[in-house]
Amino acid sequence: MSGIQLMLLTGVAFISLYFVIRLRKRLLDLILLLVLVATGVTFILMPDLTNAIARKLNVGRGADLVFYTSILIFWFVILKLYAKVRQLEQSFTQFIREDALKKAEQNSGHQSPPSHEQ
Amino acid sequence: MEDAITDRMANSRTLVIVPAFNEGITLRRVIESLLLLPVEVVLVDDGSQQPLAPLLKGLNITILRHRSNLGQGAALQTGFEFAKRKEADIVVTFDADGQHEATDIPNLVAPILQQEADIVLGSRFLPETPNRVPRSKKWVLHLARLINFLFSGIWLSDAHNGLRALNRKALDRISLTENRMAHASELLFEIKKFHLRWTERPVHIHYSDYSRKKGQSAWQSIRILFDLVLHKLFK
Repeated sequence: MSGIQLMLLTGVAFISLYFVIRLRKRLLDLILLLVLVATGVTFILMPDLTNAIARKLNVGRGADLVFYTSILIFWFVILKLYAKVRQLEQSFTQFIREDALKKAEQNSGHQSPPSHEQ
Repeated sequence: MEDAITDRMANSRTLVIVPAFNEGITLRRVIESLLLLPVEVVLVDDGSQQPLAPLLKGLNITILRHRSNLGQGAALQTGFEFAKRKEADIVVTFDADGQHEATDIPNLVAPILQQEADIVLGSRFLPETPNRVPRSKKWVLHLARLINFLFSGIWLSDAHNGLRALNRKALDRISLTENRMAHASELLFEIKKFHLRWTERPVHIHYSDYSRKKGQSAWQSIRILFDLVLHKLFK
């Protein structure tokens, strides 16, 4: 086993351990994670496999194929995260709005006539 | 005719919503000009660093304050929610920076009072009002019109004009989720979605150094476009 394989496998092991602990109750996510880890480990241990697939897809090297697919996956992840941010923004807005409306109602409850305020 | 409209406005409950963020002393003049009309004024202080309420002491208006700055779209929607709770008949949106003229409001609500439209959009480019729009602003606005048309299918004579009037039906249907400036286009999507009857009316726009400073730069329009694309992506 080469140094890079050891490095990558350790990385995968840590990441999967972290996710397994967090996703214990979510079966579907856990299965998806296991599939990903299995693919990752297979490709790390048998790098020639990626080369074979790459050649079938008309890409020069296996490493390039991995690189291209990662770009796609990252785009997907960014979009997912952005959707999440928008969701958060909307619930935050709702919260601020309710607060503003509630305070206005409290004010109108005991408002003195405007002529006395100046 | 204008007097007749003002009389009819007095018989219906009209709320003018003024979204404001970090405004200066000109704000008071803007609000005072609105109070000359038979309307109620609702100022939405969108989390200004210095609360705006002290600037408006003694004026008979409602102030809603966001505890954090959310953007003009969010401020308008807060005003809309308030208007719904107060069972307003007509809602007018009015920018706080003094670029609009309060005397345009009767003209703007006339199509609603005459049951001809559910929503009336102010326009600075209709032939009846000669507005001198700075050239740099002009091409950005025309580009925005085109983009609005491509996104919503509604071809307006102006884009992002802050002066509008809505009737109760439009108020009940429309819900703005775009917190920032893309709300102006989102409004058009909502008009289309709920088949609201819309029309445009000429309004005056005053470009002062102050309003120009507070207004949107061409650069911000790119941000708006970005928000619009994302709005379409993540319904």
